[in-house]
Amino acid sequence: MKQIIKLIINGTLIETAVSPNTTLVDLIREELRLTGTKKGCELGDCGACTVLLNGKAVNSCLVLAIEADGQSVTTIEGLANGQELHPLQKAFVDKGAIQCGYCTPGMILRAKSFLDENPTPTEEEIKSALSGNLCRCTGYKKIIEAVSSVSEYKNNNKPEQVSYRLQKSAEDLTVVGRRLPKLDTPDKATGRAIYTDDIVLPNMIYGKLLLSPVPHAKIKNINVDKAKKLPGVKVILTGKDVPDISYGTSPARYDEFVLAKDKVRFVGDVVAAVAAVDEETCYKALKLIEVQYEELPAVFDPIEAMKDGAPRLFDDKYPNNINTRVDHHFGDIEKGFAEADYVKEATFVGNRTFQNPLEPHVAIAEWDRQGRVTVYTSTQVVHYVHHQLSRILNLPLGNIRVIMTNCGGGFGAKAATNPLEILSILLSKKAGCPVKMRFSREEMYLYGRGRHKQYIEMKIGVKKDGTITAVKQKAILEGGAYSSFGIVSTYYAGSMLPTLYKIPNYKYDGYRVNTNLPPCGAMRGHGTPHPRFAFESLLSMIADDLGIDHIDIRLKNAMTPETRTCNDLDIHSCELKACLNTVRKKSGWDTKKGKLPFGRGIGIGCGGFVSGAGYPIYRSQFPHSNAMIKVEEDGSKAVLFVGDADIGQGSDTVLAQAAAEAMGITLDNISVVSADSDITPLGFGAYSSRVTLMGGNAAKMAGEEIKNQILISASKIMNIEKDKLECKENKVYEKTNKKNYIEWSVAAAKHFSEKGPLVGKGHYSPPEGLGGKYKGAAVGTSPAFSFSASVCEVEVDINTGKVKVLNFWDAHDCGTAINPMAVEGQVEGAVVMGMSETLFENEVFDSKGRMINADLHNYLIATSADIPNIESTIVDSYEPAGPFGAKEVGEGATLPILGAVANAIADAIGVRVFELPITPEKILNALKNKKNEKEKILT
Amino acid sequence: MFIPEFKYFKPNTIQEASRLLIDNPDSVLLAGGTDVLVEIKKGLRKAGTVISLKALNELKEISVNENEIIIGAAVTHNEIIKSSLINEKLPVLSQTALNIGTEQIRNTATIGGNLCTGASCCDMAPILLALNANVEIISHNEKNILPIHNFFLDHKKTLIKQNEILTKIFVRIPTLNSGVSFLKFGLRNAASISVASVGTMIKVLDDIITEARIAIGAVSPAPKLCSSAANLLIGINANELNKNILMQIAVDAASEALPIDDLRGTANYRREIVKTLIERSINISLNKIKNKNLTD
Repeated sequence: MKQIIKLIINGTLIETAVSPNTTLVDLIREELRLTGTKKGCELGDCGACTVLLNGKAVNSCLVLAIEADGQSVTTIEGLANGQELHPLQKAFVDKGAIQCGYCTPGMILRAKSFLDENPTPTEEEIKSALSGNLCRCTGYKKIIEAVSSVSEYKNNNKPEQVSYRLQKSAEDLTVVGRRLPKLDTPDKATGRAIYTDDIVLPNMIYGKLLLSPVPHAKIKNINVDKAKKLPGVKVILTGKDVPDISYGTSPARYDEFVLAKDKVRFVGDVVAAVAAVDEETCYKALKLIEVQYEELPAVFDPIEAMKDGAPRLFDDKYPNNINTRVDHHFGDIEKGFAEADYVKEATFVGNRTFQNPLEPHVAIAEWDRQGRVTVYTSTQVVHYVHHQLSRILNLPLGNIRVIMTNCGGGFGAKAATNPLEILSILLSKKAGCPVKMRFSREEMYLYGRGRHKQYIEMKIGVKKDGTITAVKQKAILEGGAYSSFGIVSTYYAGSMLPTLYKIPNYKYDGYRVNTNLPPCGAMRGHGTPHPRFAFESLLSMIADDLGIDHIDIRLKNAMTPETRTCNDLDIHSCELKACLNTVRKKSGWDTKKGKLPFGRGIGIGCGGFVSGAGYPIYRSQFPHSNAMIKVEEDGSKAVLFVGDADIGQGSDTVLAQAAAEAMGITLDNISVVSADSDITPLGFGAYSSRVTLMGGNAAKMAGEEIKNQILISASKIMNIEKDKLECKENKVYEKTNKKNYIEWSVAAAKHFSEKGPLVGKGHYSPPEGLGGKYKGAAVGTSPAFSFSASVCEVEVDINTGKVKVLNFWDAHDCGTAINPMAVEGQVEGAVVMGMSETLFENEVFDSKGRMINADLHNYLIATSADIPNIESTIVDSYEPAGPFGAKEVGEGATLPILGAVANAIADAIGVRVFELPITPEKILNALKNKKNEKEKILT
Repeated sequence: MFIPEFKYFKPNTIQEASRLLIDNPDSVLLAGGTDVLVEIKKGLRKAGTVISLKALNELKEISVNENEIIIGAAVTHNEIIKSSLINEKLPVLSQTALNIGTEQIRNTATIGGNLCTGASCCDMAPILLALNANVEIISHNEKNILPIHNFFLDHKKTLIKQNEILTKIFVRIPTLNSGVSFLKFGLRNAASISVASVGTMIKVLDDIITEARIAIGAVSPAPKLCSSAANLLIGINANELNKNILMQIAVDAASEALPIDDLRGTANYRREIVKTLIERSINISLNKIKNKNLTD
């Protein structure tokens, strides 16, 4: 029975009736509709739902609303004073402390309660204070900077500007190359930004999925009679109710059904869907659905799964469960090893990690009476969802509208069409009203699509001076039950190795093997971080054996500009050597390497990535990114429409900067509408680190079209030839006499008055014919490649094995950094995520294939208390294929981290751990083994 | 996730709470809720009735009685951390509390709740065991005070019965010639569950160790005292406690552990860690005595 409680919410006394089992977060979000408070885990592990209860930070998911009776609650909505941001909010916006924004409200509130008690904290105190609020995007560095600088924002002071050296390629530019706060951050700082879960449509009901509790079984029978009778249940769907069409990510491997047809293949496979008046009723209904399984033998280890006679996941395909096989040979591997003076090989094992964006997946579907459906979703790839829905529903694209709301992070977890998007539509159609579906944190892990665990045999041959003559790699990828992105992951695992160093002879054997575990997919760095970890580790081992410095051996082999790799990838801009020299200098490498005491170590790793995949996921001739710009009739503002997705990385701002630069206006005169299939032109979305280069080129092209029309119009007004005019910073002026100018808006208004709407459009397709002719040559192609080098310094407690990562020095070649602050944010986030993956993260399953750490309590990700000092540098570089010379940073920044950490640990303790994550226990065991071996030798 | 419906009571007196416990055999006591609500949401615990301790002010008091600190069971970890009384008389307790959970958890989670979950990794246990604390347990018409080392029975099993309430924790204030310390080892620097934890208390008279307790957590079904190992310390001259003796004591204490393999580490690793923690904790406790004497 509901009871009346009184609360002071953000200063206002309210009286409301609550059920005793309603949590404070649900009262705040669902009843009071203060949706700035976010739900990230619902179990008190992430801090996203932090509110202040009588001034103290609490997880509102673990407080019963009824227990807050008579108390005062502050939510993020209560912080700003009208339009005037709270100093903390200003600091977060200004310092680049906000990416996806999902952790932001909780983080800001926790920071407020902390600063109220300790107005002048040290950095260490801040790190410790914020450690109950997880952030997956920023790496915490800029958040800590924001909190420590907040006093500068009080009393309307002008805060100190960060000194930043302008890149050479940005010297003549006015918007591109500038450290500017992201456009979406004031909304994210105040809780106004709308994420999918914040939307409640009239007459909306809720949906939930029934997941298989067994790893491998035939479905003999499903009985939904009892569930249907439960009051409040509206629709139940099972395999027989959904189209007989398989779907997935890569067309060559569509092998999933919307709901299991006759078989389940992992604990978490989707068996049925229920729609009911609320989530609670859905859960109750799920328990009443009776499924009769005939269990089949299951296999969880890829090596076992490949053996003859192992249980098969698919009877009609993938012999020996080998889902993808790659057999690549470039040059002459035998000759290459014969030419080597020294050959070394080693085996490495990666870990099964999960992206863990702070925001769980959510979708809402609503049909209109004309047979059109709208789906709101937290996705990275509006177009691919659009395309896949069209296939599955057998509807033309025009009858489906996909709207990406704000997205609370992705990292690849939201890069494919998911069951929520499809089933919310199917449930909604049958129910006749909108349906919202969301994953819990546990359901996110079970849906999977995280990083493949790889078993890697790496062999490198070198000349005496360290010159690489041959590289051979065999990688077995543990794929989970379905294909997802897996074919591409398997190719990437091989194709990216030859991009960093010159490798004349290369052989790659790749196997992706199905197992009865959640499917693996594309996670930041897609398929390449584990091979890169193996390669960087082995290269450093070889350097040690030959007595060559670790940076020297990399400089010796480093990629150079305008080079075609052995596997036919075309490298254009490349400043890997500059990256290496930068981190060598900044880290004090030469004074530290080999000179640190036992237990302390320094290591280097390099990385790089494609700047957008050269080919689309399914075959089409559409340009990969497209843009439109519409200028207001009075010329006061331009609106950029792009199909690409800002998932927190800041692409809306970056594309706006590219467009504004091209048009000659300032960033405050442009706004962005993105990722809505009805309104924005097609864009392939945020995957393969493609948006800066591809979306950027499209936005720039659209801007240039506007500029051309502005100059024509201005030429008439000013009576000066068009070629003699230029526009920048909202002015059109005579090139030879800048004082002779008119306002940009005047030229724009004239255009509108005479010719109607001032619009521009742009598109981008990668150059035709990228890559070689061999099978799989498309994967790894890109218009451009990024490069980076990272030095890591660690301290290892040799009695416990615990690693403290002290410092990271990173240098990245991303061409021209369109927004250096956003680039730093990507690098810092990648450093901390990469470090977290290397040291902490691993999905663990029991003998029945059930994941035993499917929460943020037991699957550890780095907190603010774990982070090192990070110093990142953007080197001078210019990429001819990129807008204003720009290329990617998002994924490439992850690549050097794993190897750098592993090499630093090996340097610290004199022995190497070959399997990720490098846990304290593995370190202690490695130290023990080394000691035992020494003793053996001595006796 | 959702919380199934339940009957909710917020009694104003302990007697009333006890009565409700007896009348509702399906009831769960709710203090901070950071464990109970998680278990209910995960479906691991059923709660037909929830009895809130929110209105029981006597469970929220921190007081001193002669040489004893009395902490109400519903005092939160942050209230312990911020209590000037505890910071002055028993700082090790606030240092321990600071190692538990996150700020948000510490603002709601209570010391009594932490003990009553009976988890082997309950971080308040080793330090209270080392301090030889007592707990007060009230049932409807009975009040019992007993030593905390009798409180923990087995994995997630304590002495508390369904109709009883843990009301108070009594901790004697350590004398000047004693040192107490708590150490935990987790896999990350914050919000981590202990792989192993250790509390030690050492008393020294004229350089000779006269009293010692070593308590371990997360390495046996329930937190426990390692009495025989601690006894080895007694009679030793604190200045002559060399590395070998210390190691022997740590090995002995670790052998009283009964760790398991789990996500956070194997049994062997836990044994290894608890050994290291014991050595370190004894050294810290001894140093505290030395430093106190220096400041005197």
